[in-house]
Amino acid sequence: MRCLRMLVRILVLLYLAGAPALAQTLCQPNASNGYRVRISIKTALGNQAYEWNENEMFLFRATMAFAMRRYYKTETYNVDNIIVCNQTRRVSFWFVVISPENPTMLIPKADVEKAVSMSRHRINNAFLLTDRTLEFLGIYPTLAEPVNPDTPPWLIVFGVVIGAVFAGIIALLVSSLLQKRRKEKGMMEDGQDEEDRQMKGVENGINLDGIYNRGFTDDDRFTKL
Amino acid sequence: KVVHRHRTATDSTRPGNWLDSEWDNPMQFVLACVSYAVGLGNVWRFPYLCQMHGGGGFLIPYMLMLVLLGVPLFYMELAIGQKMRLGSIGAWRAISPYLGGVGMASVVTSMYLCLYYNVINAWSFWYLFHSFQSVLPWAECPVNSNLTGPVEECERATPTQYFFYRETLDISGSIEENGGIHMGQALCLLLAWIIVYLFIVKGVKSTGKVVYFTATFPYLVLIIYLIRGVTLHGAINGVKYMFTPKMEQLAKPTTWINAATQIFFSLGLGFGSLIAFASYNQYNNNFEKQAIVVSMVNSSTSIFASIVTFSIYGFKATFNYESCLERVRLLLLNTFDLAEDTISLENVNHWIAELNRTHPEQFASLGGRLETCDLEAELDTAVEGTGLAFIVYSEAIKNMPVSQLWSVLYFIMLLLLGMGSMLGNVIAVITPLSDLKFISVLSYLVGLVCLFCLLLGLGFTTRSGNYWFTMFNDYGATFSLLFIVLIEVITVCYIYGIKRFEKDVEDMLGHRLNWYWKIMLAGVSPILLIALFIFYIVNYIQGGTPTYQAWNKELGKSVVTEYPPYAQAFIGLLLASSVCCIPLTALYTYCKKRNLASGKRERTVSTVSA
Repeated sequence: MRCLRMLVRILVLLYLAGAPALAQTLCQPNASNGYRVRISIKTALGNQAYEWNENEMFLFRATMAFAMRRYYKTETYNVDNIIVCNQTRRVSFWFVVISPENPTMLIPKADVEKAVSMSRHRINNAFLLTDRTLEFLGIYPTLAEPVNPDTPPWLIVFGVVIGAVFAGIIALLVSSLLQKRRKEKGMMEDGQDEEDRQMKGVENGINLDGIYNRGFTDDDRFTKL
Repeated sequence: KVVHRHRTATDSTRPGNWLDSEWDNPMQFVLACVSYAVGLGNVWRFPYLCQMHGGGGFLIPYMLMLVLLGVPLFYMELAIGQKMRLGSIGAWRAISPYLGGVGMASVVTSMYLCLYYNVINAWSFWYLFHSFQSVLPWAECPVNSNLTGPVEECERATPTQYFFYRETLDISGSIEENGGIHMGQALCLLLAWIIVYLFIVKGVKSTGKVVYFTATFPYLVLIIYLIRGVTLHGAINGVKYMFTPKMEQLAKPTTWINAATQIFFSLGLGFGSLIAFASYNQYNNNFEKQAIVVSMVNSSTSIFASIVTFSIYGFKATFNYESCLERVRLLLLNTFDLAEDTISLENVNHWIAELNRTHPEQFASLGGRLETCDLEAELDTAVEGTGLAFIVYSEAIKNMPVSQLWSVLYFIMLLLLGMGSMLGNVIAVITPLSDLKFISVLSYLVGLVCLFCLLLGLGFTTRSGNYWFTMFNDYGATFSLLFIVLIEVITVCYIYGIKRFEKDVEDMLGHRLNWYWKIMLAGVSPILLIALFIFYIVNYIQGGTPTYQAWNKELGKSVVTEYPPYAQAFIGLLLASSVCCIPLTALYTYCKKRNLASGKRERTVSTVSA
């Protein structure tokens, strides 16, 4: 009996010691079900960049667990289910997701991709980063839907300008029409006065109407003495 | 001794309904000439020539040609217009009945210009209207249909090129592939022609007021742009590059020839616009001073505009260079997994050498992905024409802060420059037509001409329209103008006689022709024109089949393509149609005179016999 209990204790100890080792073998660079993550904090935040340390890594694993929970709509995923390895100074690392029911089974790549895409915005915001500075190599961000307004904005500006131009044309027509009518009325009413003025004009030697005859002015300019 | 000037038939004011058609004051005339001469060529052709032909050194042949060729010919055209007080057809017919065809050739060439030039204004309107958006449409590539990335054509080219070739022009692959009319372009062209109509409908009374604005406002925008341009990061690189003179370029004959042609076309000689403008002058207007002033203003504007252009070039080149460095930096960081702050923009090149030394195999695996970033190469990409105005400039503008404001300002300036030149072109067509008295009411004539040009101009808004536009731009007015002005100078100096011309000028101005004008007009200018003319012919023959740049959407860039035979025939037609007006009219007048003479002889014989 005592032998059996010791055996069980040894097995448990071995299991506890070996589990992380087992987990580590599951996570490897270029693993078939793993993804590489690249983070560029200084590019994104400049002077306000934070240091990447173990706590940030913990946040990453928690966020990934949150993404898996959201995708599968369960509450079984935990920080331990996200395994990270091969961290570099660049701040890039590989991660894999193990199933909570079976620690030796990895969640397939496609499901991880769908989970990440679904919660990408939340993951980015947890780290104050963007799609470009928090890269999941292999998962392409879906671009924003282009905003298609009902009337293209240029047409609106065009409408305003051509409306102004037509207003100008109408103003021109109306003013020339009014001028013509005023002239006709003027000519009918004081036609007599016009004739008198014309006579006077000729007498003074200056032609008010018609062509200004330059032949009789500025003779001095051409005078050579 | 009192000298009375006696009035001749040509002294009368305009016949028909053109009483009262004079500029309100000489300032309007000067501004109209400035507005006409200062056009898009000052902004997009001169900076290119400056860059190609040795920067600051190019100014030497340019100024020399201005003095030898530009100012005398400008003076001559103003003198003719002011003396004859008629448009180009009537004026040349009055000078010499056999050479009335010169005026007709001018009108034909102006007509071609009217057809295609307003399309540029349509493009300016299109870009202007698209500037009123939060993100400029040429700043980013649009997303493709399944939202995975940008449209492929945009990816291979740049967003500004994509916007110009695909969204503005919807250009086809070659001149043979026709397509439908681009509705947006057609609307903008309609707007442009309506505005031109409004500016000219009342003759010089309306035009005279419009040119106050079109002549002065572009300078305001240029000054604002100068201040903005030189304060941009990296602008000084461009300005330094432009002004470093490369004197060895002066040894090449193409430099001098390009300087001469630039002066020639920039002043707008030979179109008949200057004759038309001057015909509305008072008889004693001092056009000598005005000719010098307008030519100087035109050339200084070219130099001023090229400072602005080169500071923008410098900014764009520096921006592209720094983006290239950033991409290389990221590539190195990602490949070698170094911490982010080890490589900065300044020591990228140092690190390239270092990493090549320490990790040669990994460095070799980078292969072709490693770009070489060269500021000189970026500055060397000289562009002219519509490519400069609509692609390079808009690329620079999208990177400026508050880009919408700069975009709006820039395209308003392009519009004013283009409209100002357009006014001169249309007046050059309308003035002689109204002298011929086809249609008595001016507004109907203007409306008819505008409608005609609009309908034909719609052809330039089709999918292959840009290729036809380039053909008109390259061949419609270049060779024919040289020929026209050469005939003009020879006519005035040798057929009409330099002595008669001298007397006319003395009549108008009150003092005799300076020796400078006499030597230039009778000697230097004709010789230079003949040299230019011969050069053009030789260049055309040596150039082989004429080619054009066709946009290839798979490659995302322009490829050189030969014109098909029918297009080459059309080029020949363009050249011949204006040039052969001159000999044909001479022949026609000669035949008419002979018939008249023989008819008179017959009649006299009959009366005597009777």
